[in-house]
Amino acid sequence: MKVSLNWLREYVEVPDDVAALCELLTLAGVEVEGIETRGLTSDKVVVAEILSSEQHPNADRLSVCRVNDGGGEPRQIVCGAKNYRVGDKVPLALPGAVLPGDFKIKAGKLRGVESQGMMCSAKELNLAEDAEGLLILPPSATVGTPVHELFAPDTVLDVEVTPNRPDLLSHVGMAREISALARRELTVPTIDAVAGEANGGIEIRLRAGEDCPHYTARRISGVQVKPSPEWMQRRLEAVGLRPINNVVDVTNFVMLELGQPLHAFDAREISRSIRVRHATEGENFLALDGRNYALSPGHMVIADDEKALAIAGIMGGEHSGVTEKTTDVVLESAYFRPQNIRRSSRELGLSSDSSYRFERGVDPAGVTAASLRAAKLIVELGGGRIESFSEGGNAPADAVGVVALREGRCSEVAGTDIAEREVEAILSRLGLTREGTGWRTPTYRPDLTREIDLVEEVVRVYGIENIPPRTRGDFVSATRVDAIHDRLMELRRELAATGFFEARNVSMISAEATTDDPLAVDSLRPIKNPLSEDQTHLRPNLLPGLLQALAHNLRSGTKSVRLFEIGRVFRAETREERLHLATVMTGLLQPTSWRGGERSDVDFFDLKGVLASLRLADLRFAPATLRGLPLAAEVRSGEVSLGFAGQLAPARARALDATAAVIVAEIDLSLLPLEARTTAVCREIGKFPGTSRDIATLAPLGVSHEQIETVLKDACEPLLRDVELFDLFVDPTGEKIPADRKSLAYSLTYRSDERTLTSDEVSAAHARLKERLKAAVDVQFRE
Amino acid sequence: MEQQLEQLRSDALSEIGASSEEAALEAARIKYLGRSGSISAVSEGMRNLTKEERPKIGKLLNEVRNAVTAALEARKQELDAARDAAALSGIDVTLPGTPVQRGAIHPITLLQDRAVQIFRRMGFVLADGPDIETEWHCFDALNTPADHPARNEQDTFYLPDGRLLRTHTSTIQIRTMENVPPPVRIIGPGAAYRRDEVDATHLAQFNQMEGLYVAQGVTVADLKGTIEFFFRELFGPDTRCRFRPHFFPFTEPSFEIDLKASALAGGKWLELAGCGMVDPAVFEAVNRRRGDNAYDPGKVSGFAFGFGLDRLAMIMGAVPDIRLFIENDVRFLAQYR
Repeated sequence: MKVSLNWLREYVEVPDDVAALCELLTLAGVEVEGIETRGLTSDKVVVAEILSSEQHPNADRLSVCRVNDGGGEPRQIVCGAKNYRVGDKVPLALPGAVLPGDFKIKAGKLRGVESQGMMCSAKELNLAEDAEGLLILPPSATVGTPVHELFAPDTVLDVEVTPNRPDLLSHVGMAREISALARRELTVPTIDAVAGEANGGIEIRLRAGEDCPHYTARRISGVQVKPSPEWMQRRLEAVGLRPINNVVDVTNFVMLELGQPLHAFDAREISRSIRVRHATEGENFLALDGRNYALSPGHMVIADDEKALAIAGIMGGEHSGVTEKTTDVVLESAYFRPQNIRRSSRELGLSSDSSYRFERGVDPAGVTAASLRAAKLIVELGGGRIESFSEGGNAPADAVGVVALREGRCSEVAGTDIAEREVEAILSRLGLTREGTGWRTPTYRPDLTREIDLVEEVVRVYGIENIPPRTRGDFVSATRVDAIHDRLMELRRELAATGFFEARNVSMISAEATTDDPLAVDSLRPIKNPLSEDQTHLRPNLLPGLLQALAHNLRSGTKSVRLFEIGRVFRAETREERLHLATVMTGLLQPTSWRGGERSDVDFFDLKGVLASLRLADLRFAPATLRGLPLAAEVRSGEVSLGFAGQLAPARARALDATAAVIVAEIDLSLLPLEARTTAVCREIGKFPGTSRDIATLAPLGVSHEQIETVLKDACEPLLRDVELFDLFVDPTGEKIPADRKSLAYSLTYRSDERTLTSDEVSAAHARLKERLKAAVDVQFRE
Repeated sequence: MEQQLEQLRSDALSEIGASSEEAALEAARIKYLGRSGSISAVSEGMRNLTKEERPKIGKLLNEVRNAVTAALEARKQELDAARDAAALSGIDVTLPGTPVQRGAIHPITLLQDRAVQIFRRMGFVLADGPDIETEWHCFDALNTPADHPARNEQDTFYLPDGRLLRTHTSTIQIRTMENVPPPVRIIGPGAAYRRDEVDATHLAQFNQMEGLYVAQGVTVADLKGTIEFFFRELFGPDTRCRFRPHFFPFTEPSFEIDLKASALAGGKWLELAGCGMVDPAVFEAVNRRRGDNAYDPGKVSGFAFGFGLDRLAMIMGAVPDIRLFIENDVRFLAQYR
């Protein structure tokens, strides 16, 4: 909210040091987000009277004026504005004046005609944010006096008011706060009743239940609608409102002064009664913003016998407002329930200064006073007579309450000793009054309903900077989440050490992006209200996002890329949220270097080696058929299927702009005991040397390494310690070995913990294993 | 014979000295010390000597053999040393090292882990909760009014079943208190979602870290001490914290935390976190759900805080655009190696 310090000064003595004032407010929770200065200080902008005005000889849009600036000789000024008459008094910037924006005024020729200064608009003098034409000064202004004597320079604060403090959405409210914080005296305008005002006159029917418990209408007749006087315009312009006419300006002025939104109707547009009712389904309403709104029963309107006149608390109608032809005004002041206004405003996509205040909660006890204040101002500025006052309902009773506050409670919460004397002083300054053991809260503070609310007020005003910090802790056991965090960080470090970059994709993707996913699932979780078409579902797997990231890198010219992601995925099935790890890799196995060496691209087995090195579990890879992966393996731990690894179909890889094989894997980490902390148990290191013997097998192409290895290991040969595949050879030409066979060569290590083995022992064990192998699998041995 | 030996010694030593390679040295060894070498021949002739001559010549023979053996060994070492030196001489040590492939951990993860380590030093443990949440956990339990704008479909992602994507990690507070009685002292990093249009400073999904401490007698002073310690550890000892009273539905009193430190660009106050004392209404909601009075607002109190990791990482690392964090360009990520 914009707050004018000049305006505030009418109610409270504002500290001179603006920076200190802002600090005071900000540290009390009323954040000042901006400070603007309005007006000017230059003595070289003076009041001048326009003596004559003639058409510029060379420019249609300019005129040449002679003005009296009080210096004796009239000055000649070239002017582009049209809104003045000869005899008007206007601000004149003399040569040498510097206007806001570092605009220096010099004497010179405009289209060949001498101009000895510039006549100014309110905007050019920084008196308003927006203004057209010359600023016409009151006839009483004395020619030659500096304009700043007429317009005191102002400072306007841009204040962020939190939603719990509707009482600060007015100048009196801000003045009250400053008075409490800075301990300055507060002077609020006194509003006396009007003598001779009739009661009634307009029948008010409250038909909206608790959405409007209190409604008042005041009739003022014989008003002359015209522009507001200078002082009123200055007040409104200072806080960014455009003056309209004296009646509308008064309603805005009182709203900004007291915080109560008001609305003025042209009395001629209202038949005898006013109804506050809910809208009917599909009821149409043309608001004064020129737009048509289709209302529904949740919305509330102000209506007469025939038609809706306003959307209650939000905006008036196109046809019922005050215009220059209006003579009789009906002034509305009411309390609308915040929930209704908030919902209606949101549903209609329509908000206003009025709805902004109603939806936060205006002072229920301030309705009548604001109406009176505005009515008097209307009469003051536009003449006429306050005729009658009509009222329906009452201020809601729950607005006033007594809140208990235990002795010492403030100190307990703050963690420092705040004297009871201090507590009482703070609450009293904020307008609360002692009542028994509790405190009666002011009606304009709907946020103060519980003890903790009072404590907050005390802490806020006492100043958190006066509370000494305390450092202490408790002993706590690590949680499962801690263990998982540590394990995941370990995984990340290991993957980073093998050349992988960690990616973090958003969890939302399109369903289309998942169709190529090797593990595409039909249990996608859709988002009801997605932000964009490419983020309509929660990702069921990480790979689709990771492939997009891969493509981004390939297209940016990085040809060798390794990425991994650890993140949550979502399924519409049991274990709705899962933790996955996915990897993609493509390009060179080793970075290029002056050392030379063989340049080869990564393949499936490079990825398998990486996964094995992570020591996630005893991973097994079983042949699998998966969409989009001509080379695919299911990754298993024991009987549990964890995910897959494989090579992307070449066509898909090319579509991603890959120039080499793209190797991918995705596994479900939530199936693994990541939180398990294992402690290695030391085994004795064998003292006796081992012996290696090789087996060179010729096996059919369909026999897998795993089959052979399993036979050898399952033999439970006590001396066998290790089986290592050291060579694989195939010859499709059939020249060296038959084309339908492959050569797998193993090195078997034998060792005993008790003794050095004899050659005969090893030979016997080796022969037994070969026999077993031959019996179990269709292999021949090459000697 | 004596003369012959002296001659042999001088011949051998000069030949050894002149040997400039291993093969020549080996030839010299065979020539003098080999089975049919010159010195062996002399040794053979010993038996023809008189009993008187034998010890004298024998002694000399040993001297010569030892001298030749020693010279051979010395020369071999010289040759080895020269060869070793030659093998490594002239190598340009300024040539680049053999490249080692290194990736990097994502900057958000790095910051998150760093924050975790700091809070662990203060005795906080980790907690978590699901991304898909109920409206109760995300709003009701956190004392958010039924018609609060944050619940609106314009601001929050909903699932067709009425659940939502959590808009803040404060849900982790509720999840923890539901399951564990006080005292709790937890931090909960995680993703949060809001329907913000994506631009240089906004993502619809971002990362937060939540904190909660509930025990007997937890005060604003504890909150201040914890937050100040954390940010001083993160940004350095010259960090200044300012607690600005604010409003959040789930804490009372509530504060926004502004920070100033030489590690943070600009040297002006930056709003980086929110915090406050847990509102009694939150405890009451948790108790209703638990069906007990474990979080009796009359007996326990607590503080909670939360901050965004993305914005923090942007400020600390001068990252110009938040979207860099989800673009996954290795040229960006490599800067965090």
